[in-house]
Amino acid sequence: MSNLNTKATAQNTYDAIVVGSGISGGWAAKELTEKGLKVLLLERGRNVEHIKDYTTAMKKPWEFEHRGRLTEAQKDTHPVQIRDYPYQEYNESFWVNDHDCPYTEVKRFDWYRGFHVGGKSLMWGRQSYRLSDLNFEDNAKDGHGVDWPIRYKDIAPWYDYVEKFAGISGQAENYPHFPDGQFLPPMEMNCVEKDVKKRIEDKWKKSRIMTIGRTANLTVEHGGRGKCQYRNLCSRGCPFGAYFSTQSSTLPAAVATGNLTLRPFSLVNTIIYDKETQKAKGVVVIDSETKETIEYYAKIVFVNGSTLGSTFLLLNSTSDIFPNGLGNGSGELGHNLMDHHFRCGASGRAEGFDDKYTFGRRANGIYIPRYRNIGNDKRDYVRGFGYQGGAGRGNWHADVAELAFGGDFKDQMTVPGAWNMGLGGFGESLPYHENRVYIDKSKKDKWGQPVLAIDCEFKDNEQKMRVDMMNDAAEMLEAAGIKDVHTYDNGSTPGMAIHEMGTARMGHDPKTSVLNKFNQMHEVKNVFVTDGSCMPSAACQNPSLTYMALTARACDFAVNELKKGNL
Amino acid sequence: MDRREAVKSVAFLMGAALSATTIGVFLESCNSPSTSTAGSLFSADQEKLITEVADIIIPTTSTPGAKEAGVGPFIAMMVKDCYPSDAQKAFTKGLEDLEKQSKDTFKKSFLEISVAQRQELLNKVREATIAASKVEKDALEKQQENVVQKKSEKEAPGNAMTPKDKPKTAPQFFAIIRDLTLLGYFTSEIGATKALAYVEIPGRYDGCVDLKPGQKVWA
Repeated sequence: MSNLNTKATAQNTYDAIVVGSGISGGWAAKELTEKGLKVLLLERGRNVEHIKDYTTAMKKPWEFEHRGRLTEAQKDTHPVQIRDYPYQEYNESFWVNDHDCPYTEVKRFDWYRGFHVGGKSLMWGRQSYRLSDLNFEDNAKDGHGVDWPIRYKDIAPWYDYVEKFAGISGQAENYPHFPDGQFLPPMEMNCVEKDVKKRIEDKWKKSRIMTIGRTANLTVEHGGRGKCQYRNLCSRGCPFGAYFSTQSSTLPAAVATGNLTLRPFSLVNTIIYDKETQKAKGVVVIDSETKETIEYYAKIVFVNGSTLGSTFLLLNSTSDIFPNGLGNGSGELGHNLMDHHFRCGASGRAEGFDDKYTFGRRANGIYIPRYRNIGNDKRDYVRGFGYQGGAGRGNWHADVAELAFGGDFKDQMTVPGAWNMGLGGFGESLPYHENRVYIDKSKKDKWGQPVLAIDCEFKDNEQKMRVDMMNDAAEMLEAAGIKDVHTYDNGSTPGMAIHEMGTARMGHDPKTSVLNKFNQMHEVKNVFVTDGSCMPSAACQNPSLTYMALTARACDFAVNELKKGNL
Repeated sequence: MDRREAVKSVAFLMGAALSATTIGVFLESCNSPSTSTAGSLFSADQEKLITEVADIIIPTTSTPGAKEAGVGPFIAMMVKDCYPSDAQKAFTKGLEDLEKQSKDTFKKSFLEISVAQRQELLNKVREATIAASKVEKDALEKQQENVVQKKSEKEAPGNAMTPKDKPKTAPQFFAIIRDLTLLGYFTSEIGATKALAYVEIPGRYDGCVDLKPGQKVWA
């Protein structure tokens, strides 16, 4: 009998376990396998095979039964996912059935989730910006949250490393606090954007700049992947492999090593802590199809289950030593939840370009990096925001009557109408200790697990920032000659930006943080957490590129430590 | 260029980076199972009526209209699958009212009157819809003012940044059928490729090209 157990244990033992196969988990699998480790990559959802399983990617508009809209039945099963635009008929299979995986909203929190190999790397927005020392120093300077245990110089070579592999297109700008990277050729701005850029940069003497979005879409063939075909259908999965996803990029690299075992339908329920060695010895997996429980063992565990997924797993991994969650001696696990606040800005009509048009559908816009609270600029709030936006020309005509119909109306709808230009702010939110998640045992998910309760809200600092986010946008558009500029604030609730982060933060001090400067748990040295949960602050940039860089860096450290016999 | 040719030429442009299986997937990706529910909400005559109304909203001009693009059956399916029961009821009642108006005004079914008469009737429905929406909007605004006043007197306000739910408004037959006609037409093969300009795989982005005479909006 003991022989059998030993054999079973050996079969279920790997050098490393990676929990989650999204953007950061895919990177962990790639890096660890390339460094020679035998890796088990666990994914709670189904497999999605590159190209083959992008079942809607090549459909034409008329081949969608409901032309993109959702049925009443879909709205019933996805009450959270329908709160904003991402869940549509075009990629409905990439979003969770909310009834299977409920959570408790102490305050409204929109939790968008995709349970499948690749996770949100298939549906992400692909905007990729480096953080700078402005961001790494903000916590220490204004006293919110804890100091980042790293500075730009620590992560810069890792940004280089991940950008070279992922393929980020963009324009170098040499603008303060907005580090340039290893860019593929930039996408082109359209003529209205070029004009607005020039006028903004002239007016503010380049203290504000506008650049083309830095995006993980390939503008040239790269690493055996095809270049962007300008269809703007990315979130269905790209059959050309033209944007970075686990499937297009990190997974094939990991598979090529021969060191990877990918196990879909593997919901990691707990990390097993060994009191003797003071390390994690493996994980308990619930097979999400059969609900059977299986244990897997490894020398190191990388936790990459998305910010709140990973935090749930750690909180759910209790033991005598860690009654409040694995590595949670600080009590900070689950706290300091952040997301970007957005959905406010301004837009208007561009004149003087009626004889110009575009060709192709560019899955990218423009970016205006943060300029507030820098140098002598002092606002009535701390931190700042960046803008995304762009100009476009559709079929909107000012002189169409309300509810118009008929032949003239139809023909007018087929003629290119007015150019519009818009700017929408993405604002930093602060790491408030009281914005937190915890385990709620009063409910169970489809697999019998307790659920997460989320208690998070934006506060005064974010509210004040939004005034600038609207007014500055209007001011810049007006300075750029845009007509009929109107501001908007459609409200923003945590979760909506799908940039949730911060609930297992890095820091110098084990008393106030969960992870050290290498994303290693202070208290459980062979567990690394490298998804959004590690972030001590949110900055205002789209965060995924930073998760990639931190993951590659942590993998390098972990393997070195393993070789030194420290893990 | 047909779809198969387009896909092949893209594969060629990419240096044949795509395998034969990949191309197979491209060509077969449109055969997924239907999520539509069975049966119809409407009688055969009502479905004809929907088709004719849609063809008044988007008639044949220099390009084919809604009827030819199959928009009628699309609308009937969408109302059944994608609308809650109160909107379905309002829609059915709108069809019945339209038919009744036709009989009251012209002593004939909507299916038998002339295009000009159909336009005249639909314009009345349109005007009534605009008027009803305005009354509703004014009432909502008043109601919201009262709510704001009451709240400021009694309760602490909720988080000011939370997105406001759109106020529930009564579903309007004409607004629904017009919306679905535009959606169904401009996303149909005829609408997208003949009334608009559809390029399946542009392959490049040009941000600044001269607008050519007769250029249609990109689908």
